[in-house]
Amino acid sequence: MGLIKEPLDVDFVVDPRPLTKEEENAISEFIKADKEKRLAKTKRVTKSQNELKN
Amino acid sequence: MNKFSKIELDFIIDKLTNSIENIQTGDSFPTEISILNVSELKAIIKKNGWNFNWKNEFKQPEKDIYKLTIVGNPSIIQGLISLEVKKDHVYMHLIESAPFNIGKTKVYLGIPGNLVAFACKLSFQRGGEGYISFIAKTKLIDHYIDTLGAIHFGGHLMVITTESALKLIGKYFKT
Repeated sequence: MGLIKEPLDVDFVVDPRPLTKEEENAISEFIKADKEKRLAKTKRVTKSQNELKN
Repeated sequence: MNKFSKIELDFIIDKLTNSIENIQTGDSFPTEISILNVSELKAIIKKNGWNFNWKNEFKQPEKDIYKLTIVGNPSIIQGLISLEVKKDHVYMHLIESAPFNIGKTKVYLGIPGNLVAFACKLSFQRGGEGYISFIAKTKLIDHYIDTLGAIHFGGHLMVITTESALKLIGKYFKT
């Protein structure tokens, strides 16, 4: 168990304004692409492992 | 109170164990995260040093407000976070450390990290695969990249991906 120690002179603040529709779409697109990338990576690893077995 | 609050109270609160660190002594204290009660809102006002309007945040049904407290000391709120469960991730509307945990004279370290790690955990629990998004202030974008492993794209938008979420959860929550 550890801590993320933020610098003493920096406080974690987010911009509290609501997301626009465009921003929401951009986030969803990013997440979708990132998931696909992760899935492709997993498939490549699995394939390599299978090739090693054979 | 919105429709998600009761569910979260039932499933989340008692299982969280993590810690924050007293700057002066270096002592660590186990913490817990729970839903903010309406009665506690009275003291969370600008007059008492809080920067954001949490009363207004509390009124919005799509948002859930969570408080971080030290185990055994539930009346002292160390920090707050406002979260909304979206279809594919959790959106972080607001996060704020208690007035005594802000600036160079802050009492405890680790408040925001605890709260963000909790948001990641919630995202996994709600089918968001750990993804978190938020809008960052320009000057803090690099800080979030360094400390949280967040990814910056398009304007001020930031996303914490599954991989970074797992790392954050690993730091804060006992397995």
